[in-house]
Amino acid sequence: MDFPDNLFPTFFLPGPPGLSDSPASYLAPAWSDYMQLLKPPQTQDPSINPQHEASYVTKWGRWKSDTPGPLPFLLPGADPWDPELMSQDLLFRGRVKQPARAKATIDVIEQLNHFLWDHGDIAFGPLGMLLQENFNLGEKKKSRKNKMVMNTEWLLRDLNGYQPKGCPWAHLSTRQRRFSLLGGTVLGEEVENLLGGLLHEELETRWKRLLLDEASTGGALGWVPGAKPHHGQLVYPTGRAHDQLNFQKVKLSPTNEPQALGDPSHILLRGPVRQVVTRTIQGEALVAVRSDHHCALWKLEHRGPPEPLQVLEMEKEATGISLSPHLPGELAVCTRSGAVCLWSPQHGLQQIHKDPETFVFKDPSSWRWADFTAHPRVLTVADRTGLRFADARAPSDCGELLFRVGAEASCQRGERVLLAQYLGTPDPLPLSPTLHLVCTQFSLYLLDERLPLVPLLKWNHGLLSPPLLAQLLPPPYPEAPLPLLLGGLGGHLRMLHLSGLAAVVPPGCPSPTMLLFQLSAAGDVFYQRLWLQPDTSSESAGSPSTDHAEDLGLNSHSQTSATSSLGTVSEPSAVSWKPRAVACCRRWLKTLLQVPPTLPSWTPPTFSQHHLRWLKEENKGKVQEGLRAAMAEGRLLLQGDLAPLPPSDPPPAHEPFGTEDKLSERLEASWERKGAIWWDGQRDGSRLPRKRQSREKRRTQLSSSFSSVRSTSDFSDVNSPLPHPPKTPSPLHRMSETSQSLELSQELWVKNIPRERRQTLRDYLAVLPSPDSGNCSIPQFQNPSSQSLSTSEPGKCSVPCSQNPRTQTLFSPLPESYSAFYSQNPNSQSLYSQNPNSQSLYSPEPAFNSVFHSQNSSIQKLPSRHTPSLAGSQPLRKKPRMGF
Amino acid sequence: MDAFSEELMGFVQKDNQVEASKDPVPEIHLPWLSQHIQSTGSHGQKGTNFAQTTSICLNFIQEALLKHQWQRASEFLQCYLQTLEDINSQKRQMAPEIIWKLGSTILYNHPKSNVETFSAFADRMKNIGVQNYLKISLQHALYLLHNGMVEDAYRNLNQAESWRYGEMSASQEKLIKLIQAYRGLLDYYTWSKKRTEVSSFDMDGFATNAATQDMHSYFRQASVNLHEIIKIPGVWDTFVKSYVEMLEFYGDQDGARQVLTDYAYDNNFPSNPNAHIYLYKFLKKEKAPEDKLISVLKILHQIVPSHKIMLEFHMLLKKSNKEEHHKLGLEVLLAILDFSGCTENITAWSYLAKYLKQIIKGKHREWVQEGWSSRKDWWPTFHFSYYLAKKNWKENRILALKKAFTSGILLGKVKHQKIILSSGVGRPMFESSFCLLLAE
Repeated sequence: MDFPDNLFPTFFLPGPPGLSDSPASYLAPAWSDYMQLLKPPQTQDPSINPQHEASYVTKWGRWKSDTPGPLPFLLPGADPWDPELMSQDLLFRGRVKQPARAKATIDVIEQLNHFLWDHGDIAFGPLGMLLQENFNLGEKKKSRKNKMVMNTEWLLRDLNGYQPKGCPWAHLSTRQRRFSLLGGTVLGEEVENLLGGLLHEELETRWKRLLLDEASTGGALGWVPGAKPHHGQLVYPTGRAHDQLNFQKVKLSPTNEPQALGDPSHILLRGPVRQVVTRTIQGEALVAVRSDHHCALWKLEHRGPPEPLQVLEMEKEATGISLSPHLPGELAVCTRSGAVCLWSPQHGLQQIHKDPETFVFKDPSSWRWADFTAHPRVLTVADRTGLRFADARAPSDCGELLFRVGAEASCQRGERVLLAQYLGTPDPLPLSPTLHLVCTQFSLYLLDERLPLVPLLKWNHGLLSPPLLAQLLPPPYPEAPLPLLLGGLGGHLRMLHLSGLAAVVPPGCPSPTMLLFQLSAAGDVFYQRLWLQPDTSSESAGSPSTDHAEDLGLNSHSQTSATSSLGTVSEPSAVSWKPRAVACCRRWLKTLLQVPPTLPSWTPPTFSQHHLRWLKEENKGKVQEGLRAAMAEGRLLLQGDLAPLPPSDPPPAHEPFGTEDKLSERLEASWERKGAIWWDGQRDGSRLPRKRQSREKRRTQLSSSFSSVRSTSDFSDVNSPLPHPPKTPSPLHRMSETSQSLELSQELWVKNIPRERRQTLRDYLAVLPSPDSGNCSIPQFQNPSSQSLSTSEPGKCSVPCSQNPRTQTLFSPLPESYSAFYSQNPNSQSLYSQNPNSQSLYSPEPAFNSVFHSQNSSIQKLPSRHTPSLAGSQPLRKKPRMGF
Repeated sequence: MDAFSEELMGFVQKDNQVEASKDPVPEIHLPWLSQHIQSTGSHGQKGTNFAQTTSICLNFIQEALLKHQWQRASEFLQCYLQTLEDINSQKRQMAPEIIWKLGSTILYNHPKSNVETFSAFADRMKNIGVQNYLKISLQHALYLLHNGMVEDAYRNLNQAESWRYGEMSASQEKLIKLIQAYRGLLDYYTWSKKRTEVSSFDMDGFATNAATQDMHSYFRQASVNLHEIIKIPGVWDTFVKSYVEMLEFYGDQDGARQVLTDYAYDNNFPSNPNAHIYLYKFLKKEKAPEDKLISVLKILHQIVPSHKIMLEFHMLLKKSNKEEHHKLGLEVLLAILDFSGCTENITAWSYLAKYLKQIIKGKHREWVQEGWSSRKDWWPTFHFSYYLAKKNWKENRILALKKAFTSGILLGKVKHQKIILSSGVGRPMFESSFCLLLAE
């Protein structure tokens, strides 16, 4: 490999970042950076041969866009999407007393309020367990034996009419008053202490994520070229929880817009997809996916479904995954524990670096990133402070530094590495395969691994959102500079929240064209066509020295261009929306707007336990059914579920999904006084309002992050590698969690529950359906994966997922650490059984366990150790989440 | 909660670019943070109107620069000049530098800009504040050089060098050295020109003498400045080469060798492969003993095993009398082929094929085993896969043959093996390409 004979003169002065007057920074931005890469003065007289290089624009033209903005490529998904958390949601918006000294403050009271409402089970569950021993929910005589047990029947009756939301005029009974005076201090403190800490922690993580969503580094949109030149596949996640991985076949055309071929095939995963990496090496197309605690690798066949190759499970959150550009199937994974592992099909997992400390100076971030180098056995490991080599042949902690946030690169104070990427590919590119890209929040650095610590190029990217995506493309012409795409996460280029970026250069086009696919945070795919416009002579007609900042002569023979101006290249007047594009947008919007605008706002439930327990006999059957349905669907129990609906009762307002046919059907039914029957039939068909489903789904997403913890401790009794699906410790959503814990207590009560509690429980359980009675057991243990499937196919909700041959379901973990995903689907094989090589990244370490205990100790010390309780599964939550 | 709120307040109080030292330092200082906060909007005033307009103006300029709308950018820059009067002292201090960076970028690219405009702008900007005089002077000189105006550049550098303002900071001292070094480089150019003139003079006597004297004076000026800069850690390829060339011309071989040795082996300097190459080439020209040459390249081999000069190194080692050198010769070849940029280097493959044969004849099979042991788990996939065999055979038959031969030795395959054609990973290349050969 050639190395430039002459490097541009520069100081090499080690030191901390932020020495802004260090001489190295004199060549900081724009054209001076570009000067850095010009050939240094030659031995002959420079005046004889002044270095006039042809202007970038004259030589290569400029990328132009067909449309002023990206166009929707696929129709919007069925899932509604709520905009994500914004700073407004967290910050205090009240009136500030001293406007001059206004400061941003997090609105704790509001957040706490939300939390108590949305997650009452978490907030008050432990208290319930505390009180449980000494309170009786309404048993009549047995409680007298034990004077320590107090009957709360009347207290509950008093509370019955109590309207929450802090009405100051609410009537307080003496009993309530006494109770609050006696218990208030103790109970209040507990809640305050516990929640205060947890809320602080949660707000902090939320706020940090708001500022920099580092989990999405690398982007979640991948392009896999197909066997034929104009075919390929887009790989991207959709769904509210980003847990459905889609493989959409696409046909490219040199002139027309790209076409989606059929519906995407999809795979349901157990966690949100954070990063998708694709690579084609030696004819093998591979897709690697990073989720929080799992990484998986698929091989794409030209026909047939993707073939799963490997699933890795991590104790600590994975922060980066990359596929080797040299050896098929090799991948590097790094986690928050500071470990970097290399996995290869032949040799399995190999840890090549582990250091919880940062490289250069101390930085609290545990973000790590790994990529490959020109040597297949040498990797780069990045943290926020720098980039270091790690040799797989001699694993150690002391590889050489490739980049350091410091004075050598004239970094600013506070500058941190946000993305590190190896630019080399096995294709014969006109670029040395030794280049690495490092992005910070201010600048972009280009480094050659043969000349560590001295950046070849520094360019101020000026992005107003974190640059977390980068892609180097093949040259549009032979010997033309390579376009380098740099994507900010939040809209500097597009005013869109980019989750992924994939650029494709379709072959055989008359003029060089680039298709830019973008994935929005809502899971929608957009595209924009860019084409290389030959020089417009007006630009370079003036002086001979109109080189553009993009003309970066690299290594004397190769060039790269930082096309910062992508997407904004065109003058506003030059491009306008063509009728076809407008029609496309209109179609997309029409589909999008089919989602109902607003649903009636949620009101606190007003039914009471009193009504529930002392129901008349004739109503019981109805109540059972209603309760059962509500629990199965994971929604709130409404008044309408408890009492029979009057025959002429109109259906609730928030059922706007029925098509016109349904409406007439319903009208017809009510005309014949069969409205209630019709309505029941509809409800059983689980045609749920979308909003509810999405809420469920969010819960699924939240709780799925706990399930790895559950799997090891909570359900340790499930030992068989492939348990029967209904026994699956599925990621639980809140309501079915309750049912499950009831279920558990039903099994255990004989052994562990004090006798005086049994009657209470019996009363409860009498109201509930038995788990094996009739058809209700199916929805009760319905797996979240099949629920989310029903979201994508609203018409076929009742069809179990196994009937869909295109859906592979990879979900909840087994207690064994090695079996990360397995499939319920009879059509798809279990990854575990198919792949004996699969193994967990780390066996559960003692260190991890201790962390886990300390995190939960605050909750665990609360519930009494003597009795399992209704809320028995609560303490095992690793960390409560809040729905803001 | 309080601590967190304070931290948050720290965020907000922070200026867009400037961090105040007393604030708690956040994990990462993010330039887009202030936008986040500002968008929440409703707490108190956002700042003065002045600050708002300048920051909006700056955004417009940056946007125009990215879009290559130089005219638009220059119009906005005229408005942006008001930051020079910002009441915030920190911003006021930063302003000239920002304006210079933006302005020079615009003038560098603007179709109607010319050297005069650029120089006028540079001269104005130099004298706003004292901080930037040297930086701007140097950039100005580089711009002039870029436009082929060597004399103007020289004058400019001279002027900058003689600039004095109070006590110089450490960084300014270094910058002065760099300016002097560039001046030295221009002196070297003149020296180089004079040298060709003198050598072409037929006449002897006074004229030649005067020219030689003149040349000497340029040498003295250049050498002083160049000598100074190469003592400071950095990448000084051009300066070192020029300096060494002059020293060689005046017969100071020891001095030249010393300069090159220091440049290559000083630990304070970055690990620059060129430094080793310069030293090697100098020693080679000097006809230094082969052991010496080998020791120089051995160090380079450790730093950059993929360097193209490693093939030459291999030949050196092969010619050597020592057995350890012969052994290293194999390792050098294998190390070159480890790198993804060298996989199709025919020379390296043919050297390897030849050398493997030689080694096995020389009964040093254990060397091959040693070199192979660390590679056997990935070379078959990396070099000898079925896919690559097919590809190489299609694109370059000689390469395919060399690789087939090598794989035969390394993988220990016997000829006439049964043909197995399958697209599995790690299929040895030898089988497939050999069978292709047989099919011919």
